[in-house]
Amino acid sequence: MPPLALSPGSTSRRLWNPSRDGDPTSDLGTFQKGTFPRINLNLLLKAQPAGAGRQRPPRTVRSGGAEPAGQCCPRSDTASSSPAVPTEHCGPVPGGPERPSREKQAFSVSHTDWCGDAAVPHVTKSVLTLVISFQLFTIHLQKEQYYSEQHSSLINKAYQTLLNPLSRGLYLLELSGVEPAQETDCDADSAFLMEIMEINEKLEEPKNEDNLEEIETLIKVKQEELTREVTAAFERDDLQEAKKLLAKLKYFANLEDKLKAKKIPS
Amino acid sequence: MGWTPTLPSVKMAALRAAGTALLRPRSGPAPAALGYHKKVVDHYENPRNVGSLDRNDKNVGTGLVGAPACGDVMKLQVQVDENGKIVDARFKTFGCGSAIASSSLATEWVKGKTVDEALKIKNTDIAKELCLPPVKLHCSMLAEDAIKAALADYKLKQDQNKESDKEADNA
Repeated sequence: MPPLALSPGSTSRRLWNPSRDGDPTSDLGTFQKGTFPRINLNLLLKAQPAGAGRQRPPRTVRSGGAEPAGQCCPRSDTASSSPAVPTEHCGPVPGGPERPSREKQAFSVSHTDWCGDAAVPHVTKSVLTLVISFQLFTIHLQKEQYYSEQHSSLINKAYQTLLNPLSRGLYLLELSGVEPAQETDCDADSAFLMEIMEINEKLEEPKNEDNLEEIETLIKVKQEELTREVTAAFERDDLQEAKKLLAKLKYFANLEDKLKAKKIPS
Repeated sequence: MGWTPTLPSVKMAALRAAGTALLRPRSGPAPAALGYHKKVVDHYENPRNVGSLDRNDKNVGTGLVGAPACGDVMKLQVQVDENGKIVDARFKTFGCGSAIASSSLATEWVKGKTVDEALKIKNTDIAKELCLPPVKLHCSMLAEDAIKAALADYKLKQDQNKESDKEADNA
């Protein structure tokens, strides 16, 4: 865990040193590998003195002198002012696991080390450091998750674009620098538009519901034909022709959508 | 780590199914709920002048236009009397709500105008009247093109008729 200096020019005494301060992640019973490491403040601070096995509710900070054995360590009031630091650093966390006795001893030693006013800012800042560093770890994880979500969505989009012949063709046009049909362009190919109109009208007719399959095959055949022509146009680098054909394909794609909407029973 | 990635296709299929169920229309087709101005919705729900006129009638001009970018088709027909005044207009549009509203409004406006007056109708007027958003301005342009196409077709027919009349006279 990289130690974070909370203030410029901070001494090593302020930084969390695992060999000196204890490693809260060492107790495998508390942390599950691979999950977000929770801070067991109890392990970190080891407020429970050796021999005291009773569970005590977290107590707020009080001013006072050195802690007598078996009682919560009094701290100056300045420690409680930091909102990020839970004040239950004295006494075991209620419902926490039973810690191995060896650790209890080791940490109770360091706990008494930390007792006293001089150690308060250190403890506060150590906890704050850990809290922040673990929180940053989560954020880091979230960011990575976000990035991978973005990536996978991009891949999906790309795949869908390439799968559909119309969007594929339009994308190829874009890559070749040809502008696709602008929205303000007007198509005036009467014969073709008449054909589209007729198919549209057929779709709109209520009695034609049985003939939907017929219309569907017609649309499909036309689309396949146009797709083949578009492919041929691209192969011979006739981009303008490809553009015109893709515009025609667009009309049929719209018809297909309308047909699908009709097919779904409402 | 405990996170099993779901196949995108499975996810997409599930989403699509859920989406289609939600989008099932309850009482006929409805325009997109958010974003359409009430004037556009009004034209959509209470369409005026939908239908067809006889193409072969010599006083009827038919304009058939399409927007290649969005695949909308619009047919606008006008019937002109001997004085050059538009007495009737009909439209049929297959496309978005804004396109339908634009063509509906166009038929309303051309009725009672002369051919020259109708040619002066601008897409900006249509867009302003319907409060079309910028992305739908091309729909009003399509309607303007449809009016022009219909009137051009009418003029062409008139010229053709004049020619055939002349030939009949000369014969």
